[in-house]
Amino acid sequence: MSILAASSTTATFVAPHVEFGKLSPMLIAFGTATLGILVEAFAPRKQRYGIQVGLALVGIAASFAAVLALAGTTASVVAQGSVAVDGTTLFLQGTILVISFVAFLVIAERKTDQNQDAFAAQGASVPGSAAERETTRRGWQTTEVYPLLMFSVGGMLLFPAANDLLTMFVALEALSLPLYLVCGLARHRRLLSQEAALKYFLLGAFSSAFFLYGAAMLYGYAGSVNLAVIAQHVAHPTAGSTLLYTGVALLGMGLLFKVGAAPFHMWTPDVYQGAPTPVTGFMAAATKIAAFGALVRVLDVGLGVNSAENVWRPVMQAVAIITMIVGGVLALTQRDIKRMLAYSAILNAGYLLIGVTSTTAQARAAVLFYLPVYGVAIIGAFAVVTLVRDAGGEATDLSRWAGLGRRAPIPAALLAVFLLAFAGIPFTSIFIGKFAIFQAALAAGSPDLVIVAVLASALAAFFYLRVVVVMFFSDPLPQGPTIAHPSIAVKTALAVAAFATVALGVAPSLLLHLANNSAGILAK
Amino acid sequence: MGNTGHGETFLFWVGSIISILGALGLIFSKKIVHAALCLCTVMLCLAFFYMAQGAVFLGVVQIVVYTGAVMMLFLFVLMLIGIESQDSLVETIRGQRWLAVPFVLAFGFVLIGVYAHANLPEFVGTDAANAKGGGNVQSLALLLFSRYFWAFEVSSAVLITSATGAMVLTHRERTVPRKSQREISIERFERWGKGEKVSLTGLPNPGVYAQHNAVDTPALLPDGSPSEASVNATLRGRDTVRGFRPLPLPGARRNGAAVASRGDAGNEEVSQ
Amino acid sequence: MNPDNYLYLSAILFTLGALGVLIRRNAIVVFMCIELMLNAANLAFVTFSRMHGALDGQVIAFFTMVVAAAEVVVGLAIIISVFRTRRSASVDDANLLKY
Repeated sequence: MSILAASSTTATFVAPHVEFGKLSPMLIAFGTATLGILVEAFAPRKQRYGIQVGLALVGIAASFAAVLALAGTTASVVAQGSVAVDGTTLFLQGTILVISFVAFLVIAERKTDQNQDAFAAQGASVPGSAAERETTRRGWQTTEVYPLLMFSVGGMLLFPAANDLLTMFVALEALSLPLYLVCGLARHRRLLSQEAALKYFLLGAFSSAFFLYGAAMLYGYAGSVNLAVIAQHVAHPTAGSTLLYTGVALLGMGLLFKVGAAPFHMWTPDVYQGAPTPVTGFMAAATKIAAFGALVRVLDVGLGVNSAENVWRPVMQAVAIITMIVGGVLALTQRDIKRMLAYSAILNAGYLLIGVTSTTAQARAAVLFYLPVYGVAIIGAFAVVTLVRDAGGEATDLSRWAGLGRRAPIPAALLAVFLLAFAGIPFTSIFIGKFAIFQAALAAGSPDLVIVAVLASALAAFFYLRVVVVMFFSDPLPQGPTIAHPSIAVKTALAVAAFATVALGVAPSLLLHLANNSAGILAK
Repeated sequence: MGNTGHGETFLFWVGSIISILGALGLIFSKKIVHAALCLCTVMLCLAFFYMAQGAVFLGVVQIVVYTGAVMMLFLFVLMLIGIESQDSLVETIRGQRWLAVPFVLAFGFVLIGVYAHANLPEFVGTDAANAKGGGNVQSLALLLFSRYFWAFEVSSAVLITSATGAMVLTHRERTVPRKSQREISIERFERWGKGEKVSLTGLPNPGVYAQHNAVDTPALLPDGSPSEASVNATLRGRDTVRGFRPLPLPGARRNGAAVASRGDAGNEEVSQ
Repeated sequence: MNPDNYLYLSAILFTLGALGVLIRRNAIVVFMCIELMLNAANLAFVTFSRMHGALDGQVIAFFTMVVAAAEVVVGLAIIISVFRTRRSASVDDANLLKY
């Protein structure tokens, strides 16, 4: 605070230096969202859908271009120490933007459901009421969803880049609040969707209260919420370390909630099931990437000292083991495809946590590789779920999927690709990702974790294959669900996801190389 | 600055007892409005604590934003969705409710133990920091618009999100234009013409000829009996209609035969 | 009195808030308990700010209030929308929920 110390009586205000270039990916995302709000206010209702979708996609692409332009610049801490722009940040931001682009293509889909998107015609009208029928008949749409989700994307870009706990908290809320809202806007089964939103909101707010109290304790410990300053105090302690570790534990509860790790996973299956399916795909992929980025930054920058690592590593290892067991075992019992994918997301969070607990550069690169390949595959899987429809929306019960492979070979084959990738079949991207993480964990000296992970993978292979068997080797139902014919946008998204899943399994070296190059650099 | 002055010590002990009682009230009170008022009390106590600790601006903001805006919003929503809505809206946490109690209490003891063993440094006090900028508000502003400008910018995104979100979830646009008074009136006469039982003149106001003119006080008919139609149906449904007491006739004894002769409804709650 | 008593108070309030979240079943009360937890965190920030003799803690508490206010708006909007749907919950909706 050299500015303030300048004079003894009154300090003069010096305008802070703003690094617009380095902040540009986030500024573009937030700017696009704000423009979207203005479009809502001024554009006529009929044109809003087109403008909003176009604006969002252009915004994401522009933001991605900004990330590309920043690639290779020196790692630095900008915005007065609030934001760290380094290799890891840029890699994760780029990943989040690619994932968001694919997810927005699926979210904007209208062809699968009688020229309506997945969101209620008017969020405030009561389901089944005359007002709802009238708004649906007129073809109204909740186009506010697009700017809201853009705000969420902006928060996600900031979350893994946040270099102090206050910025991280604000970013956490910026990414969560739009998701809470959008969760409750499903067109079909709205009561379920709204209860999912309520559950997500209450548990999310509960966990962010823990995050905040943890941040308060760390502030008490270090006198600052800046991660670098906390790291200095950890290396040269001035106060008792009880405050530090309790603070980190509470902070970790908030982050592990967003990651979806057990025992903070309770919300995942219910919210994934209740939310509109395209949004579920977006949440499952992008939120997880952002949250893992933030978790890695807190642990590596704030607590990257040996004495601290010895304390948090066993705890995180325990969390990883519990997460894998919960995800693997409970997925077996699911009858609903969305819930099954939710438990699969929990299981994958467990694998990623193994990568987080090993603090080597190799493990960091493995985590960075795993995040995009997992994200693309899970968006693809949820996109296939949107295509299988009944009268009341998507047919998500597994028994309804019997014989789907014969009636609709292409969607079924695509889903099979994603599920086989999740199951860790060789020549798929996730196989390479798992392999990299396990290898790093072995090199870092934790074979016990790898054993649990391999057992969980075997268990998981069973329930993924069960879906494939149901689709391809059982007789079709006489009145089975219909398969919607998607628009070119969803076809593109599915093709990209399937291509990435296979191509990165066969030729992973480019992305692995990029992850390796990005992982080591952390601005402090 | 190791110890606080006597004034602050007194404030702390009184305030902390009140705020803990308030927090207990929030958890255990049966009625939601009581819970909300208990939370208001806690927030007011915290505002005084902030001021006592040199955070004058924050104390004021606490009163204006939290007790003033946030809690009023809570009460407003309570009124909107009905104070008697006791039904559970959350089904997240089943069964393990009471299992949670020992865990949370243990957690609380851990937190207290952490502070007890934290070896906290001496309290410096905020006087010097406040003086740097020439006052608490100025010093905060210096920090807010320089060191923390990025968080400030991003919080605007959070605020826009919440405003938009509230509109999306609660604002209903009309699909048909609102009926004018003239149209309603014509409709009413048409229904009356078809033989339906409609009141052509509109319903009577509450409180006419009664002791109060509050909305929950029914109007009295010429024979002294209360008129059900004068009270809003919601209030009738909630059984919160006020009882009435007819004015005594001139020359009659108070509480005497004159009142009793006016009918059984005399001093009884109308709704019962 | 040592000022760190404020920290003990904040710990107690935070615990009581967490207890309320877990034992109450009404969404609005649960939400108010979460607000109590955020307030307890703010008290800790302000007290630590006094301990360190720097105003950063107060700025953070200020941001918490702003963000919490936004959170309240979103939360209450969700609660209202659930309530509206529930109040009219009829056989049709039960069908929607059938899996």
